[in-house]
This record gives sequence, C-alpha cells and structure tokens, in this order.
Amino acid sequence: MTATVDRATMPAETAPRAAAGWRVVAAQEFRELWVGGRGPVLLFVFSVLLSVVTYLAATNQVLNFLERREAVNLTLQISVAVGALVTLIVSADGISGERERGTLESLLLTPVSRRAIVAGKLLAAVSLWFAAFVVTVPYVWVLGRGVSIFGRALLLGLLVGSLLSLALSALGLLISALSNSNKVSLAVAFLLLLALFAPTQLPGGMPRGWFGDLLDAVNPVASGLHYLSAVLVTGHDWTRDLAYLTSPLVAAVAAGCILFLTADRLVRLTGGVSAG
Amino acid sequence: MRRLLVAAGLQLSLAACTLGAGEAAAAPVAAAPVVEKAPAGSVEITLDQTRVETTVGTRLSVTSRMVNTGTAPTDPLVAHLNVASLDGVYTDLEDWSADVTRSVPPLAPGGHTSLTWQFQAVNTGNFDVYVAVLPSGPGAGQGPLVVSPPLHVKVAGRTTVSAGGALPVVLAIPILLGSAAGAAWLRRRRRERRN
Repeated sequence: MTATVDRATMPAETAPRAAAGWRVVAAQEFRELWVGGRGPVLLFVFSVLLSVVTYLAATNQVLNFLERREAVNLTLQISVAVGALVTLIVSADGISGERERGTLESLLLTPVSRRAIVAGKLLAAVSLWFAAFVVTVPYVWVLGRGVSIFGRALLLGLLVGSLLSLALSALGLLISALSNSNKVSLAVAFLLLLALFAPTQLPGGMPRGWFGDLLDAVNPVASGLHYLSAVLVTGHDWTRDLAYLTSPLVAAVAAGCILFLTADRLVRLTGGVSAG
Repeated sequence: MRRLLVAAGLQLSLAACTLGAGEAAAAPVAAAPVVEKAPAGSVEITLDQTRVETTVGTRLSVTSRMVNTGTAPTDPLVAHLNVASLDGVYTDLEDWSADVTRSVPPLAPGGHTSLTWQFQAVNTGNFDVYVAVLPSGPGAGQGPLVVSPPLHVKVAGRTTVSAGGALPVVLAIPILLGSAAGAAWLRRRRRERRN
C-alpha cells in the first residue's frame, strides 16, 4: 500500500470509527491490487494455466484417459494450489514491500491500528483467491458437466481453498513482517511453498509408512488436497474424511491468531519483533 | 510226532507274538488323527456377479467365495485375480488392479471364505475377469488350479470432453482477463503520463 491513506478520509479516533479502520485499509489495498494492475495480471496468468490444463485434459490421449472425476479433481487441485500460492506471494510482499518502498512510515502515521493494517492486507490477499475461484468455475463446469460432481466440486474447492488461502496469507504476512528485506520475505515464502507442495507430488501408490502419513496429516496443503481427492475421485461421503481438514483449519486459526496478537509488535519500520 | 506238534506249536505262538507285536507297533499310528490334505481341487470358487456393462475408467468390485467341498483341510492357498481380453486387446493386469494376489489360510472341510477384489476398467472391449486358486503350502506346484466362472465385463468408451466443447472456455477466459489486465495497465500508464 502506497502512502495514499488520506488522513481526511480516515475516521476520527472514536471507538466505533476506529474499528472501521480495517475497511479503509482493505479498500485501499483492493484498489492497489486490482486497479494498480497486479491482480489482473496474476489472474490472467492463472487463467492461462487453467486453460492449458483443461485443454490437455480434453484432448491429450493420456490425460483424456482420466475419468472425468479425476480431470475435475486435477483442475480443482491446481486451482486451489495456485490460488493459495498467489495469495502467499502477495501477502509476503505486504509489509516488507511497504518498508522497501518507503511507504510504511506514512501508513503507520495514519490513525489506524496495526491490527487494522494487518486485517486489511490479509483481506486484500485473500480476495485474490476468491477471484481465482470465480475464474475456476467455467473450467470445472466444462470438465464436470455430465458427471454429477460439479456443485460438490465447487463447494469443496471453495472450502479447502479458502482455508488454505487464509492460512498461507497470514503466514505470508508474518514472514513479511519478520523479514529484513522484501527479497528475503519472498524467498522464504517460496521455500515454504515448495516444502508444503513437495509431498503432494509424490507418487500416490508409494508406501510412506506412519511417518509419511503423519507428515501428510500435519501439512495443511497435502491434507486439504487429499480431502478433495477422497471425496471427488474415491467417492467418499464429504463427512467421512473431515479429519483431513483439521490441519488447514488449525493452520488458518493459528496463523491468524498469531498475526493479530503480535500485530502491534510486528508492523514496524524494521524487520523482526520489537520488545514492546 | 510230538516234536512236530511242539515245533508247530512254537511256530504258532511265535506267529501270534509277531502279530501281537505288529499290532502293538501299529497301534500308536492308528491312534493318532490321520491328517490328509485335500487337494486344492476340492475348493470351489464362485463370483457374486456374472456380467457387468460399464464404461472405461469405472471402478468395479467383485466378491469371490471359496468353499472347501472336500473332507480334509486344504493347504494354504493363493488366490489370483486375472483379466483376459476376448477381443485381443493388450491387457496389463497392473493397470486394472494393484491388488491381484491374496493369501488364503487353509480352509477346514465345509469352511468358506470370501474375498472382495477391486479393479478399474481401463480398456474398452469385452473381458473376462476370473479368480484362480492354487495351493501355496506343501502342495505348491502339485495341486491343480481351481478357477472361478468368469465375470464378463463389457467396457464401453466414455464420452470425453471434446476439444471443441472446451475450446470456447479455454480461449475466452484468458482473452477476457488479458484484455482487462491490458486495459488496467493502459489506464495506469495514461494516468502516470498525465501526472
């Protein structure tokens, strides 16, 4: 967010108005993300990726061999994974980027609490996921029409993707606040992303033992995607594998709580956590 | 004459002793339970279905029931799921199922067990799916194979997403979003120039 939060537009420091501070920050972040051009470009790249995957699923002989449910699952998993990735990258730039552009100081001078700043940035980052989800709908429809999983696939994708996006956005903001430079923040975010996504690329039939299962259960991305496969491909009832959603839910709640509880000490002109 | 009678008597008593000893020696063997292994051929296998019509990619399951119809327990057995194409299509069993071999503990006379097999129809055409049972214990390599009646699986091709059906969405969405991104970029650039 550049230093465009106008003091005149900010509410006075009465309690109810101060509570609306996050809305002002969020609106400004939305404008910067969507009117500033970053959001549309990311969404365009996202749609190209989904188009390629959908076209391959529809025409390629090997991918075409997949059952339709598997094609829907593949597209939805890519959508959820890339949507969450994009939110993590945007949020990893949230505070360290402001510091490097020299706009954080102006932002901190506005009568908005630091929690409100963090909340506004978090909402803006998560909005990217919701936009990505809207873009996903026609692709899932093309692949899923004719099989009765279109509605279920969308609902589950929205649920899992929202949980993962919330968790990763909050983590991205934490990383951004703690990093001394934007470069470090983005590098750490990428590393985290690779670490979380790598286990999902292991061959499905590979025996992993209890340790592998434990890692899968702890990893919010792996367990979220596993839940989607279990319901959409294996045909389990949506309540049967709900335990797989524990990890994304815990990650979202824990990262969100830590972010808001430490916001006053995290959002400052230098990276790291201040003593006071 | 007396000598002859004595000699005959001795021979009879010796013979009686020998017979008695023989009976005594055989007695423990006769007392122990005689365990005769029934050949695997006394096992009968049936499947719970005889005919299935499906489309490629569908996951199916069939249950085989094995009954020991003999009078003695069987050897430990191995049950194996097989798929044979009736149209000459090359069939890779590993593609159909990752779990094609199961161990079956010895079946008591009259005993039975059921195994459920899951597989995916990955080729189109006509196939027979069947289960073969063979002994794996001491009788391994000797017992005859017992084969279930076949489950006839007719696999039809499925309606896939056609390139033509997907093309409008595949092209339209990136074009729309690309245009929106381009318009936003142009507007921003114009504003920057004005400023």
